[in-house]
Amino acid sequence: MKERIGVYICHCGGNISDYVDVEKVRQAVEHEKGVALAKTTLFACSDANQNDMVEDIRTHNLDGVIVASCSPKLHLTTFRNVTERGELNKYTYVHTNIREQASWAHSNDKEGATDKAIRLVKAAIAKSRFAEPLYPNLFEAEKTIAVIGAGIAGMKAAAALADKQTEVLLIEKEHRVGGHTATWGTLAMTEESGSTLTERIYHDLLRRENVTIMTGTEVISSKGSIGNFTLKVRKRPTKDGDPVETAEFTVGSVVVATGFDSYQPKEGELGFAQSDNVITLPEFRHLIDRAEGKELVYNGRKIRHIAYIYCVGSRQTNGENTYCSRFCCTSAIHASILVKKKFAKINNYHLNRGIRTYGKQELLYAESLAMGDLYLQWGEETPPAVVMEGKGATITLRDILSSNRELELEADLVVLVTGMVPRADNSVGTLFKLPRGRDRFFNEVHMKLRPVETVIDGVTIAGSCQGPKNITESVNSALSAATKSFSLISKGTLETEPIVAEVNSDICSWCGKCAEACPFDAILQKEVGGKTVAMVNNSVCKGCGMCAPVCPPDAINLINYSSEEIMSMIDALA
Amino acid sequence: MNEEKKIIRYDALVVGGGIAGGEAALNLANSGYRVLLVEKQRSLGGKMILLSKVFPTLDCSACITTPKVSEIARHRNITIFTESEVTGIVKRSENNFVAQITKKPRYVHVEDCTACQLCEQACPVSVRDEYQYGLIGRKAAFIPFSIANPKAAAIDIENCTLCGACEKVCPTQCIDFTMEPEQYELHARTVVIATGFKLFDPLEIPRYGYGQYKNVITSMQMEREIAPTRPFNTILRPGDGKVPDKIAYILCAGSRDASVGNPICSQICCMYSIKQAQLLMGALPMADVTIYYINIRSFGKGFEEFYQQAKGMGVTFVKGKVGTIKEKENGNLILRYEDIGEGVVKEAEHDMVVLSVGVKSNPDAGKIFPQGTLKLDPHRFVTQTDLMGSPARTSIDGVFVAGTAAAPMDIPDSILSAGSASSEAISYIIQHQEA
Amino acid sequence: MKKSARILVFSTEKISDPAIDMAGLLKLHYPPTVYTITVPCSSGIKPGWILHAYERGFDGVFIAADGSDCVYGESCTEKTGNLVADTHERMKARSLDPARLRMAAICSVCSEAFVKQIRSFNEYLIKTTNA
Repeated sequence: MKERIGVYICHCGGNISDYVDVEKVRQAVEHEKGVALAKTTLFACSDANQNDMVEDIRTHNLDGVIVASCSPKLHLTTFRNVTERGELNKYTYVHTNIREQASWAHSNDKEGATDKAIRLVKAAIAKSRFAEPLYPNLFEAEKTIAVIGAGIAGMKAAAALADKQTEVLLIEKEHRVGGHTATWGTLAMTEESGSTLTERIYHDLLRRENVTIMTGTEVISSKGSIGNFTLKVRKRPTKDGDPVETAEFTVGSVVVATGFDSYQPKEGELGFAQSDNVITLPEFRHLIDRAEGKELVYNGRKIRHIAYIYCVGSRQTNGENTYCSRFCCTSAIHASILVKKKFAKINNYHLNRGIRTYGKQELLYAESLAMGDLYLQWGEETPPAVVMEGKGATITLRDILSSNRELELEADLVVLVTGMVPRADNSVGTLFKLPRGRDRFFNEVHMKLRPVETVIDGVTIAGSCQGPKNITESVNSALSAATKSFSLISKGTLETEPIVAEVNSDICSWCGKCAEACPFDAILQKEVGGKTVAMVNNSVCKGCGMCAPVCPPDAINLINYSSEEIMSMIDALA
Repeated sequence: MNEEKKIIRYDALVVGGGIAGGEAALNLANSGYRVLLVEKQRSLGGKMILLSKVFPTLDCSACITTPKVSEIARHRNITIFTESEVTGIVKRSENNFVAQITKKPRYVHVEDCTACQLCEQACPVSVRDEYQYGLIGRKAAFIPFSIANPKAAAIDIENCTLCGACEKVCPTQCIDFTMEPEQYELHARTVVIATGFKLFDPLEIPRYGYGQYKNVITSMQMEREIAPTRPFNTILRPGDGKVPDKIAYILCAGSRDASVGNPICSQICCMYSIKQAQLLMGALPMADVTIYYINIRSFGKGFEEFYQQAKGMGVTFVKGKVGTIKEKENGNLILRYEDIGEGVVKEAEHDMVVLSVGVKSNPDAGKIFPQGTLKLDPHRFVTQTDLMGSPARTSIDGVFVAGTAAAPMDIPDSILSAGSASSEAISYIIQHQEA
Repeated sequence: MKKSARILVFSTEKISDPAIDMAGLLKLHYPPTVYTITVPCSSGIKPGWILHAYERGFDGVFIAADGSDCVYGESCTEKTGNLVADTHERMKARSLDPARLRMAAICSVCSEAFVKQIRSFNEYLIKTTNA
């Protein structure tokens, strides 16, 4: 039981102290049993405060440390490290969240927020009293790293990993590499085409000997955890009758780079599928890349007037995709410049909701304007209406730029500027249990502090599977993910999570219920002191706790989540 | 005068100690390479450490920057030089760069300084505080700001009158006016340029009245007013100290504007203005905040929701460019703008105007290489020679670029770009190891 | 008549707790008399803890379960259901209204769902358990 706990209550630069009276919290807890000192601090995570904490551990002989600040997903590791620097076992550190779960959630009730913060800190003190030093087992991490998805992001990640002298398995579902980019022609902001770029990156990748590329291969199961994932893959037969091959690999960490799907408009959405002359942006780009001659001809019709309708399937007011797909304004404008350069008689009409050619891409917008393209802007409440007339279309809209005048235009071709949606095939996400964000793309732990990590230790995400982005951004994300996946296992020796279940063999009388409940077969029958009891295999136990509630005599506890601890926390909160 | 140059060797040189440089240095150091991180200013953290909260999560910027800076400062593979400038980098061969570095004297022995602030109190000289963007003053003997790293005093020798008052009160005798510039010759295997960006100077747009009208400020000045380490206890307008209640934001101040030589979009201003507007609505519940915009570019993850949230909080968005600003006798400002929605030119009165200034290139990046060797693009950002395939590559093999030194970008993009640059730097070192 | 009921929430470290964090981030307000204890998995919650909470004066207990997102596998849903059923039995035996225990799967971004659940639970508890 701890007797000298140090409690640090963070202002978080106002994020907490604006709503929670941190001084009041400090006073409420400084005389709690076991507390040796209680302090408030402006930024608990700052260098100065971290050093103060280490100093305090030494001078006040602290045996436990608590920080009440922001969510543990930001700084749990930071503060555990501080505890270690103060020569305490890092698992004795207890964290409590009084920002997201007190200050911010109850910013409408300062008194309520402060009262809650006091109780949360008291509960943390209750937990800290029991927090035992824990000594994780060390194990050798597998050195191989798997990259799932061989589009641009996957290939760049694989190359970067190979350079760091690790074995790389690049697993691709399709029978070719290159993902979407390989199918694209001329790209915006560069002279290269998508196919040339992909070829170049592929050949660059091939120079590295330690990369094994498996195309036409799917990951069908994953077991294990960081340092030790066992992946089972199945090679998809190229034709009927081919044998189905499976193989198993053990890897240390995984980079998921499964890419995106293009939004497919519904039938009737702005005339889609009701007329041949309403096509999507990807279809349009293919069309103009292949088109030749003096005039653009499509479906037997000469195309003079092209209407681009932006934000189709993105920024939806009635629909799941409320996000912006980021790349499409630039891509559509670039396509319109290309088509006009090829066929001088074309008139381009951009029916948009605000053009988002951010950064240097703005120059394309300027170029398009200089070429005489017309830009009309509609508001989200009044989308354009498309009426098919023969082979062409008549589009009506309220144009914000001409003071909400209702305008009508006739187009030979309507291009729906469609964005990115998460992959319909979520098999990889399901296998690794990757949580998704509100936009349904894979979620990173924290956008700034941990932008490529997921909550699944050892699995990073790269490229557009994390969210819509262009090629440059995908490559940056891929190289960052590669660096992260590598650093997660590069030390070679990893620690097991020391949170495991524990059996009290005095109370246990071996009924087998815990072993039955355990999904990992981590509980065995053992002879201890003449009787048969249950025993936990620490290197297999994952620390989920599923065994704990099923034990009739209540003989099993999860370390750091024992009944004693939890009930004492409940007492503090009550 | 000690002219002797000290020769030092590291695996990597990172120029710039902001978020991109810091992140790149950490990645390299964590991979086992020895890094020299050179920062021109007196503290690490760049502009990010001076911000209030960051979009779209509203984490406090200091909460995110300080632990990173702390990790960098403590890392055994990273050596930090602050107040130092790289004056010339020459590539001798692959994996062989030689850089000349000048470490300017701080006149304080940082290891002994306890940041007690007694020197600040004793110093008789007051000058404009550049870390508060001119909102308040500071002394010539000063600690840059409360969360600076290193957190130690410095003497601004150009404004110092050499009266010695600071020396007399310093309890650890760490003030030393005999300190001299130090010259170093660094041998490194790879270089990462992370010199950041400069904010557009609105003096270039006289019709907005910046510099003339006291209550027209830049977004960075407003950022300082809102930040936890701010100069005043609340938001004040500089002209008379009144708490404003009708604040206007003018987006694209100096961006998307060929007339001031900056035709590109600065990428971050829409979002940071919406962020500041949200924070102002929280800090000054009675205030009105109006944003005058051309387009709202909320294109990133969580950005649209953030924009809708601001609308929900009551921030007014007016589509229209502001032509001119005129000042009234009471310090209020009259904005003359084109209201696109209504199709007429209107005038609106506000008591404070914030110019959302954009991102311009930092010319220092080009200067540290012999003229013409490091290619710059037409906007004088470092040219990314393989924008699609290897965004960190520059015109010199072995020299990589990270963050806003290459192009306007926000914090998450800067961090990912730094990850990209450090990964390429490591690949480069390994590739040329046998050479 | 109380304004808000005392509710104990069991959240899970990787799944439902991030959603509760996000509720705070988005300033989705709920009563401040709602306190969270985080555990690795909802199927590891002991019925004894829940009963202890009622003994200590909590009006309600809410389990923010992992649902199908559980990182420890599919059996989580069934097991969490089992322990809830087990607890209901014990509650009935002590004449405690079983509706004072609620469970719902809360995914890592289901902040609105969480707040909705808590608000409705709170209303129910105020009506049925007077101060």
